Amino acid sequence: MTDLLTVKNIIAGYGNGPAILDGATMTVEPGKVHCIIGPNGAGKSTLLKAICGMLAIREGEVIYKGETINGLRPDQIMRKGIAFVPQERALFPKMTVRENLRMGGFILEDKTELERRVDEVMERFPILKERRAQLAGTMSGGQQQTLAMARTLIVKPEIVMLDEPSLGLAPKIVKEMFDIMNVMAQEGITVLLVEQNAQMGLKQADWGVVLDLGRTLFEGPAKEVLADPRIQELYLGSNKAA
Amino acid sequence: MSNIIQVLILGLALGGVFSLMGAGLSLVFGVMRIVNLAHPSLIIAGAYIAYWPFKLWGVDPLVMLPVATVIMAAIGVLLYKLVFEREAKSAKYSEMTVLLTFAVAMIVEGALGGMFTNTQRVTSPSYATEAIFIGDIFIPTGQLYAGIISIAIISALALFLKYSRFGNAIRATTQNRDAAQLLGVNVNLVGVVSFAIGIGLAGAAGVLVSFVFAFFPAKHWEWIAILMSLVVLGGMGSILGTVLAAFMLSVVAAFVGAYIGATWSTMTFFLALFIILLVRPQGLFGEKPELA
Repeated sequence: MTDLLTVKNIIAGYGNGPAILDGATMTVEPGKVHCIIGPNGAGKSTLLKAICGMLAIREGEVIYKGETINGLRPDQIMRKGIAFVPQERALFPKMTVRENLRMGGFILEDKTELERRVDEVMERFPILKERRAQLAGTMSGGQQQTLAMARTLIVKPEIVMLDEPSLGLAPKIVKEMFDIMNVMAQEGITVLLVEQNAQMGLKQADWGVVLDLGRTLFEGPAKEVLADPRIQELYLGSNKAA
Repeated sequence: MSNIIQVLILGLALGGVFSLMGAGLSLVFGVMRIVNLAHPSLIIAGAYIAYWPFKLWGVDPLVMLPVATVIMAAIGVLLYKLVFEREAKSAKYSEMTVLLTFAVAMIVEGALGGMFTNTQRVTSPSYATEAIFIGDIFIPTGQLYAGIISIAIISALALFLKYSRFGNAIRATTQNRDAAQLLGVNVNLVGVVSFAIGIGLAGAAGVLVSFVFAFFPAKHWEWIAILMSLVVLGGMGSILGTVLAAFMLSVVAAFVGAYIGATWSTMTFFLALFIILLVRPQGLFGEKPELA
């Protein structure tokens, strides 16, 4: 199958600081869930930021549907079909849930279609419908994460990148986040997941990518990554591997 | 009792004008994080746009309101492109804008002084010297018109921000610039347009100011402290907060002027700025600053 997105030896860092990504490489196949794992400081979140244009790429290439997208602004990359939900959820705290969902469809020109899609997403996530008039900044962490993830569905992107959606959430809520991710996958959306809990992330994924010190050490089917003894030893902790 | 109502009305009318003067400053800070110390000097530039046609040809200042708004908005775009855009990615952008806008204020003051001298000016259309009497209470029509027009302009701005697609992009960018970008908003364009609107509002405020206060190029030093007190009390970047602060402080200043002494009236704003920064630096509607 043709790759939807290819990351080729990218080098990137913050400002004039040292390179956080130092030759990271990965391939993204359409319709699959990809999980990026690695120790703290490996460059997992940085990789997603580089792909979505929030971080300038110093060297290397990001190719999406055959087109190099390096140097494009985040809004241009988003319009091409790559959505990103960062760790901090990126909501508008003083806007209501409904307004946040509407902003999710900012690129849609047809207002009627936008309202239809907002209603559709609210039907799918009853908590958002229930709290549609509430300010996003006053919701719980789990509700905010639900909103951030559900909001990406308004424009039906090709790729959704999720940066540690489980961060700081109770286990029950984490399961709900993975359920939303699975809904995305069922709808044919390609998912790139960065997850600190590597075992949990890999179990949900089709493809695994292991990063360390800004480089890709290993990538392959998630089951193989999960079973690889070196990976278990290095990143999952051998005694934790079930 | 009628004296209290009289002072209250004068304070509210003044609050309307100060609202508009502060709204542009607040918008520009909210969206761009630019602390625009040049804002009052640009208000004065707007006042001159109304003054000369009135002086030379008797053109009503209110006729010049849309003209001054458009001219100043265009100057805003130019200013942004020349001065601020190249520094936009700097980590110390807000701090740098303080110095940059200080320089712009000096340049505008110098240019206006060079062209028009530091003579005090005021436009004096008939309504600026008339008053409406309701029993014992009088309402100066100049201040009344200026207050009503200011509120009308701010209401139009609020409706634009709340209900238009681009207005929502501005609000979103104000609240979370990165998030707005990730949803497809061209935040650079939002920045330029917001800056242009902010300076356009300065132009509109200048026209109203031209028949409410006497002005001259160096007058902006007094106004910047007043406007900063409104923006800080309202919460940096909150237009609603700035409007409420403008009414609150203007009414307090009117009472101070009436009962303590006119010279202390302006001091109300300076004192308020000092107290707010000590007691509640985030103002009425701003975010609490992080200590780390």
